[in-house]
Amino acid sequence: MTDTPAKPAADAPRVDPRLLEILVCPRTKTTLEYDAENQELISRAAKLAYPIRDGIPIMLPEEARPLQD
Amino acid sequence: MSAGAASAAHATLDNGHVKSSYARWAPIYDLVFSLVMRAGRLAAVAAADRPMGRVLDVGVGTGLELPMFDQRTRLVGVDLCEPMLRQAQRRLIDKSLQNVDGLLVMDATRLAFPDASFDAVVAPYVLTVVPDPHAMLDELLRVVKPGGEIVLVNHVGAETGLIAKLEAWLGTRSAHLGWRPQFQWAVLGGWIEARPAARLLERRALAPFGLFTLARLKRV
Repeated sequence: MTDTPAKPAADAPRVDPRLLEILVCPRTKTTLEYDAENQELISRAAKLAYPIRDGIPIMLPEEARPLQD
Repeated sequence: MSAGAASAAHATLDNGHVKSSYARWAPIYDLVFSLVMRAGRLAAVAAADRPMGRVLDVGVGTGLELPMFDQRTRLVGVDLCEPMLRQAQRRLIDKSLQNVDGLLVMDATRLAFPDASFDAVVAPYVLTVVPDPHAMLDELLRVVKPGGEIVLVNHVGAETGLIAKLEAWLGTRSAHLGWRPQFQWAVLGGWIEARPAARLLERRALAPFGLFTLARLKRV
């Protein structure tokens, strides 16, 4: 548990569901999974997790967390 | 006085003129250009607004034009600069804007949207600051729906400072005004010619000073 990202504060801005509908991975243009707990957008195809910082998704592959599988 | 001395004196005068011009304009520079650029934003929003539709604002920055849209237009704003988006975020709260579905950090040449996602895309004052304007235009064309519009507002003459442009308008450096707009337009014009899916609908110099040009492109 200690190495999981800190949970967002309860009042952290939420990502609008209307936005999630039209977001894709900027590298592969494939769909993203929204991890609300860790505030990340996961691209399985690119093996990248894009961070959402205080309600602003950072959709840059160079700033994304590489996924281990 | 020899010809050489005369031209040296002339050069000195020119430098002095430029310096004094800067000194003269400095106190009101921000005010003048924020007003001129505001006119460009208003014109861009008027062309790109799509009540009940979805509009992408590329290079949204601090969100200056977001409150100018119809409240029924669903907006998404992207910018490469996160600190600017933080200011835009505060603006949404201050202005109680309910029609912005998201602000995101994105590279305008690698947008994270599927093809044909937006009814219109607006990019005010962006084309001249991205390293690869053609790659950005290709992305805008990709994400706008067929029949949708791309609305651009740009400086005419990106390589000169804003003060130089203002002075060109004032007529003190009119030679610059002759060719800079041509150079600037070629970047966009060449791209349009090479893209059958892009059609130029309108190209218009914007009041009050004509320093900025609005271009409307349709995806056919």
